[in-house]
Amino acid sequence: MRIGTSLFLTPMALAMFTWAGSATAQASGDSAFSFSGFGTLGLVQTSNDKGKYALYGQPRGADKSATGEVDSKLGLQVTARANAMFSGTVQVLTKQDGKGKFTPGLEWAFVKAQVSPNLALRLGRMGGPFFAVSDFRDVGFANTWLRPPQDVHGQVPVSHFDGADLSYQTTLGSATVTAQLYGGKSSNYVTNNKVELDKVIGINATVELDGGLTLRFGHVDSKLTVHSSTLAGIVGALRNPALAGLSPTFAALGNQLDGTDKKATFTGIGASYDQGDWLANFEYTQRRTDSYVSDTNGWYLTVGHRFGKFTPYVTVSELKVADANAVNNIPAPTPQLAGLKAGVNLVLAGQAIGQKTGALGLRWDAYRNIAFKAQFERISPKTQGLFLVPTNGTMVGKTSVYSIAVDTVF
Amino acid sequence: MKKLKQFQACAALMLLCALPLAQAQVAVIVNPKNAAASMTADQVSNIFLGKSNTLPSGAAAAAVDLPESAATRDQFYSKVTGKQAPQVKAAWSRLVFSGKATPPKELASAAEVKKFVAANPDAIGYIEKSAVDGSVKVVLSVD
Repeated sequence: MRIGTSLFLTPMALAMFTWAGSATAQASGDSAFSFSGFGTLGLVQTSNDKGKYALYGQPRGADKSATGEVDSKLGLQVTARANAMFSGTVQVLTKQDGKGKFTPGLEWAFVKAQVSPNLALRLGRMGGPFFAVSDFRDVGFANTWLRPPQDVHGQVPVSHFDGADLSYQTTLGSATVTAQLYGGKSSNYVTNNKVELDKVIGINATVELDGGLTLRFGHVDSKLTVHSSTLAGIVGALRNPALAGLSPTFAALGNQLDGTDKKATFTGIGASYDQGDWLANFEYTQRRTDSYVSDTNGWYLTVGHRFGKFTPYVTVSELKVADANAVNNIPAPTPQLAGLKAGVNLVLAGQAIGQKTGALGLRWDAYRNIAFKAQFERISPKTQGLFLVPTNGTMVGKTSVYSIAVDTVF
Repeated sequence: MKKLKQFQACAALMLLCALPLAQAQVAVIVNPKNAAASMTADQVSNIFLGKSNTLPSGAAAAAVDLPESAATRDQFYSKVTGKQAPQVKAAWSRLVFSGKATPPKELASAAEVKKFVAANPDAIGYIEKSAVDGSVKVVLSVD
């Protein structure tokens, strides 16, 4: 926990202050604390042993043997209210993290100042609003689908950031407009490698229109650093001054691949519709980086219909590599250089994550706060797609994914 | 024969009318000090689904709910917001788990809702219309 220790201490201290203030609030008959939680128990299995199905960053996943480690999670959240203006929220989330462990993580810890009914300021650790469904992506009950489409969500390595945000909500005619500006830094582990996003600055805007239609635009800028010893070794070898005399392409490729403090952006538009018995969600997103991390475009479309307590839905989605960001054009006249060239190929093969998915699912609202879900997906990866593979570049082939889950909120 | 058909049509019509009548009317109530004479279903729906936290006066609304087991609650949400209980729960979980809002405070009975609304100038709640008295003001009625 190197980053933001002091940042956490601030909301923690303020949360304590909020706690202290609660005595007065309770005396006036207001409940100062609200406790809530969510959980999912899920099992997933695939038709293929060549790659493992996991959420982005998780080092362990499902193949022909089923696992509960991909979707199962538990989140607990406490909000303490000091008065009408100040409140503090802490959310602890347990799920398989980027180190393959179920260590409870501090997902949120922020204080909020509701400056006016329209304007709110938050400080601390908050959910990063990178997608149309960001903050409650882990709350299965809040979503129709069993899990957010990975063809879009599998592009961003972090879920929260440490910093501040300002959100403004207003009514324009019959439309509710919300604009959120945020900034800070973030880090996470992706399949055991630490990934950092610094100088994060972003905007997230939504317009809720009459008739159940919501439109969304989001954009975030950051500096990306990937801590990988394999990558560092390859980049270091390419930048070796001894190779500069042979060809300038070595150093140039090294600079293209380097994952240190490189510009990374993520932009998305979305629309959701929920009126009466019909619901639909659409999102189109673009990831761009100046490093070995590929430029990608991802989109999904979900359409569902409620029949009483049952909601069948269908999702189509695609993740496409728009630009590999590096061309492996170095000469390889010696075995050592051939080895280096092969190493670069492995790095680039790991970034060829293109895939298409078709999914069918059913949500059953069995009880007021319990939903059962079943989902079938057919994934067609170009090479390895988003699957975890023993060696980059493995051809995984078409794969069926079967999932069941029970979601609750309390 | 013609009469019988008329009778059948009449009976069917009565049955159709009688179905909603079987449910009591629900009244949306505010404090008598609240200046608003009436509110639209959209305005009330926005407050109870967490899309807005302000009353027509501009003050922050203090909304109160009946318990989840109360039939009046289901009737209120389906008639005013057009949403069933699980949809309402899902909508609120989206707000709660994005740290944006907390759901209306839940009170145990219509009597408690009435007491709360009578005592709080920015309160808004709903009860069976037959339970309304002079301590609160009705801004919307639904069948």
